[in-house]
Parts: sequence; C-alpha cells; structure tokens
Amino acid sequence: MKHEIEFIINGQNMQFTVDSNQTLLEVIREELGLTGAKYGCSTGECGACSVLFNGEVVNACMVLAPEAAGAEIITVEGLAEEDELHPLQKSFIDHHGVQCGYCAPGMLISAKALLSRTSRPHEEEIREALVGNLCRCGAYADIIKSIQVASRARR
Amino acid sequence: MNAFDYIRPQSLEEAGRYLTSHAHVKLLGGGNTLLLNIKKGLEAPEIVLDVKHLPGLSDVRYHHNQGLKLGAAVKLQHLAAGLEIRRHYPLLHQTAQKLASPQVRNRATIGGTLAWASSVSELAAPMLCYDAVCYVWSPRGKRTIPLSEFYVGDGRTALARDEIITHVHLPAFPTRTYGVYQRQTVRHDGRRMIAAVAVLAIRKQQALTHWRIAVLGVDDRPKRIPEAEELLQGAPSFEEVEQALALVQERIHPQDVEYARADYRRVVLQSLLRHGIMEVIQHLQGSRS
Repeated sequence: MKHEIEFIINGQNMQFTVDSNQTLLEVIREELGLTGAKYGCSTGECGACSVLFNGEVVNACMVLAPEAAGAEIITVEGLAEEDELHPLQKSFIDHHGVQCGYCAPGMLISAKALLSRTSRPHEEEIREALVGNLCRCGAYADIIKSIQVASRARR
Repeated sequence: MNAFDYIRPQSLEEAGRYLTSHAHVKLLGGGNTLLLNIKKGLEAPEIVLDVKHLPGLSDVRYHHNQGLKLGAAVKLQHLAAGLEIRRHYPLLHQTAQKLASPQVRNRATIGGTLAWASSVSELAAPMLCYDAVCYVWSPRGKRTIPLSEFYVGDGRTALARDEIITHVHLPAFPTRTYGVYQRQTVRHDGRRMIAAVAVLAIRKQQALTHWRIAVLGVDDRPKRIPEAEELLQGAPSFEEVEQALALVQERIHPQDVEYARADYRRVVLQSLLRHGIMEVIQHLQGSRS
C-alpha cells in the first residue's frame, strides 16, 4: 500500500510517497540522502539511527515511514545553524567524542534531547540518556566529557 | 520487511472491522516488538493497525479516590516523567525510569508493552503490585481483565484476537505505601534479564498489609506469588520472611538461558527478593511515628 505523506525535516517541508513497510530511516537515508542517521542493528538496540521525532529521541529504524505523516523530524544534519556547528558538535571534536564516528550522530541527537530538558546534566543523567546508544569503539568516557563540557559552555 | 498494509483507523469500530474481516491483523503501538518480529520473519501480518492515535487512548487521569486511568497509547516515558505517577505511584515511576532506553520509552505504549507477555516484561512487575486492571474493547463488547489473570504463560495473554486494550486502571493507594523494584540484568538497558522482583506493602497502624510480590524472569509469565504475600501480612519476623522466600522458590520454574542457568536465576531472585522485602519493612516501619 502506498501513502502520500508530508513531514517537516530539519525545518523543511517534504512530501513523499512511501510504502507501508518502509522505515523512516530508509526514507531519510535513501530518498532524502541524509546519511547522518546510520543503519546499525536495525532492531532498536544500538541507537545509531536516532533522530528527534516531535522533539523526542527515537530509533528511526523502528518507525514506519507512514507513521511520520505530520511529524517534525530533526536529524544530525539539522543541528548546525548555517555554517556554525552546534556547541555539542564542536565539543565532540574538541574532546575526542568521535572515534570511528559511526555512533556519533545518534550520540549527538540523544545529547541534544537531554540538553533541551536539562541544561546542566550530571554525569549520571548523561549516562542514563545514552543507555540506548552503543559505541563499539568504547569511547564513552570522551563522549560523556564532550557533552559535559558543551553543557557548561551554554550560558 | 514483508509487505503489509499500514492503516490508521479513526475509531475503535473501524479497527474492529479490520480485526473481524482479516485473519492476520496486528495492532501497532510503539512497534518495538512488532516491527522486530516482522523484520525477523516471525510474524507476517496482512494489516498493521496503528491504534495509538485512536481518540481517548492517550488520556491520563488521576483522582485521589478513584485512582489512575492510563490510556493504552500513553507512552512509557510518561510513566518515567509524569508528576502524578511520581507522586502517587512511585514504584511505577521508579521502574519506568529503568525500562529500556529513552528511544524505546518515547515510542513504547502501555497497552503494547503489557501485551508483550514475555516473562521478562518489566512493566508488568509494578503494575501487578498496584493491582492494575486492563479495560478491553472488541466488536463483541467490553470487559475487564485483572493483570494478575492477563498473562496465561508462554508469551500469551488472555486477549482474544479481536480485542484491544483501551486503558489500564490502578486503584488509589494511601501515602503509607512503599514499593521497590530490583533487577539483575546483563545489560544496562534491561536486556538479558537474569531475574527481577517488585515488592510493595501498605502500613496500617503497626501492621504491614496488602503485600505484593511480583517476579520476572523465573517462570513462563510475569506473576505474583499470593501465598508468599499472605505469609508476610502483619509485622513479619525474620523467620516469616525466610518462610516466604522458601515458598517463592517452590512456586517458580526458571529456565536455562545462554547467559544464566536456571539455578543461578533462583539464587539471584532469592537475593533480590530478600533485599526488596527488607527494604519495604525498613522503610515503612522506620517511618513509624
């Protein structure tokens, strides 16, 4: 079954025809060419495909494309403003929060969701917020530090 | 994924028509289990009915006498963050904060999660302690199913295939209620559970009443152990606590899994439960004044 859907992604209104059994991740990556959200486990365990869905972090591999009708979606590509990287992105660069980089878009999205409700999170809160994001390089210590520094830098 | 038709019904009646007219219809809540099963080829529905937008299913209402009514499409994240949950059902709040990950909690619905009848279904533990009742609709009529009768074993529930959970009701509990949730899992996000237990009681004058013990990971379903709860009524002595623990051991049937042997799961459960019961006693009797 085909569905005509409309959603807002990174501030842009988009219209698509999708199949019932397509995932939101497939649409974002393959139709839109936004390859920041990564295809990882495909089972909702690794968080590499995390996006903000109406402001909340979700695994895009576990959302059906037609479910996204009317939604507002932000991917890692939507974090920067113009040419200016988001403070989280800068901090990930400065504090080595990116090792191989595969998990980084998901980590950034989870961190963004955390900072939008808790401006100065404790380490424990950061760890809790990242429970759904796996880093197979094991760079967790630097990822947590990157988020901590970025949150302190904000007013 | 296999092909299916995604349909977003506008009313329970419309959903009911699909459930009656087609053989392989699956209800979609957060999709964390359903989509996984479709991807793995374990399920091949013709129709996936997205019922989480149905009117009224996202309502949350609390009344100090009547208790809490939670729409079946309410997200688990609401249990972890909602003020009325934190204040009046702290055991539910405490458990929900540990459930899976933010990504999963932001999508998973209460109805869909309860209907996932795995023996390690964590939401069941606090819900069993709070005497939750499922309100169910079908084209044939409405009925209620106490959660303690909802799980029938081996991943199955008491729901008929045309039935939809519309909401869950929890009675009101006095402020002198205390509960704890203890779990032992291999992973931080709760996956690969060895065992878990929720314990709850109410202090009435000098006595501790309304004991609830719900266990996970040690049988073919999430379940309460009423005989052990009975043994704890009043002001249980250490001996009575040990008797209750022994009785629980007789009522469980853990299975070997690749990460934990059945006898290990028994030992872990025993330890979690002893700790849970003692904490409830300490908290409720310690706060006596």
